[in-house]
Amino acid sequence: MLKSIMLKLILQIVIIINLYGNEPISPIPLHNHINLEKAILGKALFFDTRLSKDNTTACVNCHDVSHGGADSNRVSIGFNGKEGNIQSPTVFNAKYNFKQFWNGRANNLYEQIDGPINNPVEHNMNAKMLEKKFNKLKKYKRKFLQIYGEPKIKYRYIVDAIVEFEKALTTPNSKFDKFLRGEDTLTKKEKNGYKLFKQYGCITCHNGINIGSNSFQRMGTFLKYKSIKKYPDRETITHKKVHNNVFKVPTLRNINLTAPYFHDGVTKTLKEAIITMAKYNLGIELSDEEVKDLTLFLNTLEGEKPKILDSK
Amino acid sequence: MKIVRSILLVFTIGIISSLALIYFYLIQRDFTKNHREFLILLNNMQRDQSQLNYLILENSIYIYQNQDKIKDKIDELLSECNSLSQSTLLKDTTYKQIDLDFISLKKKVDINLENIENYLMFNAGIKNSLLFLTRHIENSEFLDIKDNHLIIKANHILKHFYNAKKIQDLDYLDKKEFLLKSDSKDKKIQKFIKKFNLHSNFLMNNYPSYLNSVDAILHNNIYDSMIEMNSQFSQLALKDFKALDRFAIILFIIFVLSFSMMIFLLYSYMKKNHTLQITSESLKHSLTYDQLTDLYNRKALEHKLNHISKPTILLINIDGFKNINDIYGNKIGDSLLIKISKLLVLKFSTYNNADIFRLGGDEFGIVFDNIAKENVCDIARNLEIEISKHKFNFNELKLYISVSIVTNNIFPIMENADLTLKLLKQNPTKRVMRYTDELNLKKSVEENMKIVEIIKDAISNDRIIPYFQPIVNLQTLKIEKYEALVRLKLKDGTILSPFKFLEISKKSSHYYEITRIMIEKVIEIAIKYPQYRFSINLSMLDILNEKLISILFRCFNKNLSVVSRIDIELLESEFLEDTDKVQEFIERIHSYGSKILIDDFGSGYSNFSYFSELDIDIVKIDGSIVSEITDNTRKLHILKTIYQFTTEMEMVNIAEYVENREIAIILKDIGVKYAQGYYFSQPLPKPLESDEVTL
Repeated sequence: MLKSIMLKLILQIVIIINLYGNEPISPIPLHNHINLEKAILGKALFFDTRLSKDNTTACVNCHDVSHGGADSNRVSIGFNGKEGNIQSPTVFNAKYNFKQFWNGRANNLYEQIDGPINNPVEHNMNAKMLEKKFNKLKKYKRKFLQIYGEPKIKYRYIVDAIVEFEKALTTPNSKFDKFLRGEDTLTKKEKNGYKLFKQYGCITCHNGINIGSNSFQRMGTFLKYKSIKKYPDRETITHKKVHNNVFKVPTLRNINLTAPYFHDGVTKTLKEAIITMAKYNLGIELSDEEVKDLTLFLNTLEGEKPKILDSK
Repeated sequence: MKIVRSILLVFTIGIISSLALIYFYLIQRDFTKNHREFLILLNNMQRDQSQLNYLILENSIYIYQNQDKIKDKIDELLSECNSLSQSTLLKDTTYKQIDLDFISLKKKVDINLENIENYLMFNAGIKNSLLFLTRHIENSEFLDIKDNHLIIKANHILKHFYNAKKIQDLDYLDKKEFLLKSDSKDKKIQKFIKKFNLHSNFLMNNYPSYLNSVDAILHNNIYDSMIEMNSQFSQLALKDFKALDRFAIILFIIFVLSFSMMIFLLYSYMKKNHTLQITSESLKHSLTYDQLTDLYNRKALEHKLNHISKPTILLINIDGFKNINDIYGNKIGDSLLIKISKLLVLKFSTYNNADIFRLGGDEFGIVFDNIAKENVCDIARNLEIEISKHKFNFNELKLYISVSIVTNNIFPIMENADLTLKLLKQNPTKRVMRYTDELNLKKSVEENMKIVEIIKDAISNDRIIPYFQPIVNLQTLKIEKYEALVRLKLKDGTILSPFKFLEISKKSSHYYEITRIMIEKVIEIAIKYPQYRFSINLSMLDILNEKLISILFRCFNKNLSVVSRIDIELLESEFLEDTDKVQEFIERIHSYGSKILIDDFGSGYSNFSYFSELDIDIVKIDGSIVSEITDNTRKLHILKTIYQFTTEMEMVNIAEYVENREIAIILKDIGVKYAQGYYFSQPLPKPLESDEVTL
């Protein structure tokens, strides 16, 4: 009896395992086609505090390129030292995100830029002010004329240049990408971590080129995740109860660099983040060994620093 | 002009229709392009929608999947949707319904995408829990045989969850029995059960939402809507294309019509042009050819003369052609001209340097280029003889004619030839003449011109003056009358006789002036010399000239007291048929108390017939008779006869040209009342104070 049950079970598992799709993660392309001139201009803008009203806040303030493109603060600090309402997502590989912001309110990078620029606690600017300000800057005017062929700097050119820079911020050649391309091998523990990653269902949401960032998911699918306060979740966009506490699944690339974690930035370490995710979204308790292996796997997702950051 | 306007009109229509065709082509091209793009986009959307459905299906089957594929497909679909919404076709009122359909489709797509988001969200939890449960059962080796029911139950529950997922039916879930239970105190067992129930519970709670989201996706009728929209669009487009087709056909017909109209009009224009050309050619022909004889005309002759270096002309004039016309009629005249022209053509067609012309009327010309003048004279003589011997037959009528021929090779060709012809015509004995400078023809022309100038000058400077020759009464030897004779005084005082200028003056209006001056001046003198009568010369032709007559009578009427002493001497140079007019004039003159004299009687045209019809008072016997009565007894007889006749007719005689005493005595003896001549006095600038003469 048991034997027959076991047999059935095994058969079922075999069927289930057979139903696994192809490798659900794809490596970041090595060739990133961008307009370098624009990207370099965008880089200057990205680092320029004059993009904010009081000349204190640049994009890079909250998207620290030395911190995996994210903010090491729990929430972002912007204009006049005011606190933002959410943890800054990384700017690295943002071009692969299916939507921008935690709640996906921007469909692309161009739309995304409007957010922080206009946010009173971030750059506290608007298109007109930016144009007025930047049209007084001769160096920029010359650059923009050179690239966009117009003597007057327009807001959309500024956005375009920044986006071009952001598009250049990809982190290819992570160990895992190399493994996927068959150029490198994972250690046993790393491999085990990846296996667990798939077996426990992390992969269900964290898949694709950005290992995440292609769907929405509730924070606390399985177990209700208690937040200290109400964050701008998907519900604030769709006004549907079902989207309460739903956020864009974040990318796991360079995850070892982008602490603190989750939208609230409460979780300080990757280990804690893994445990939290397993508990709240998978309903699993992981052993220390499993957490370690998963951490090792996640570490292989750290890619090369974007080349554009090295160029002047 | 009408045809040109029509061509222009049709041409304009043609151009407009061509432009319309081009415009239509552009519109049609845009239209087709828009349609094609719209359809392509719609088809792509259909394709992407079904691919999206497929990906969702794949996602639901597989435990995990690279969801980037879904994301990319959604991006594609949205971008197509966006492109489609910007299609200009949707702004067209014809496609209003499609626009509305599209808006609702767009809504459906958006809802579907939202559903997909939700599905992915729920699916993840469901899948993970199902996986967990599978794995949980797999890791249950630690359970004893006695806890077998737990395994069976767990498998049962799991199977239900799987089936419910596959069948998509909540009824398949055993809502009462989805949890494990055990009384075992074994902590491991309790932990196993707790974990299992946790996920089983999760699944039970989330299945409704999950299945709803799946249902929503599965039952979205986007694809059907797309197909519906596609077919509706195609139907509308078909109508549009049909309309376009009709329009194109109409345009094409207009184009073809205007094109063929244009060809037709061009054809008729060319035809008309051709007729015009023929007309203009015949006009041209008539410009250079004589209509009657088809020889070259005078114009052609002038042209010819201007274009050859050594021309010689043979000017042929038919003698008395006017009489032929008068006697036999113009028809015979014309056919005579044609016969002559044929004769000339026959004779001169062998000369390759000769051209034959009809110069109008009865004149023909032969122009030779570069020919010896001796030959020309021979040719002319031969031709004259030939024509004079030629018998011209007109049915019953047979005519012989003679021609006068002038040859000339000296410039100006025509002028010289014409002058020579005139000279030749005056000489009835000569038929052929060659122009030479020695003929002095030109000089006389020049002289004439000079004389006209002189006359003009004399009139304006009061140098037309009357001279007076006394007329003596032979019986009483007293001057009773004076004949007024016109004289022209040159600047240097030389007096010109009338034969030097009067004939020439008759060809201009000066003759009237001269006549008027003469009449006025004679009247003036007559006033001064009341003891004399005066006579003024007028020709018979003058009397027929109303203008001149009115001048005469105007002067007479002004001086009624004097004019009874003014007589009129009539001179006839040509036979006058209309004597009634002359008699009328005579009667009028008589009413003033004036008398009528007949001049030069006995010579020229003056004859006895006058006396039967005209009331003549005095007859002047011609000088050619009077001057010879001493030597020529015949003339004496004539004179006597005239005297007798006129005396019997109660007319008075004046003998002219009385040049010596002998003649005067004979005349006196015969009984002739008056005499006039050099013997008594030559014409004088004014009458003599004394009327006494001696014989």
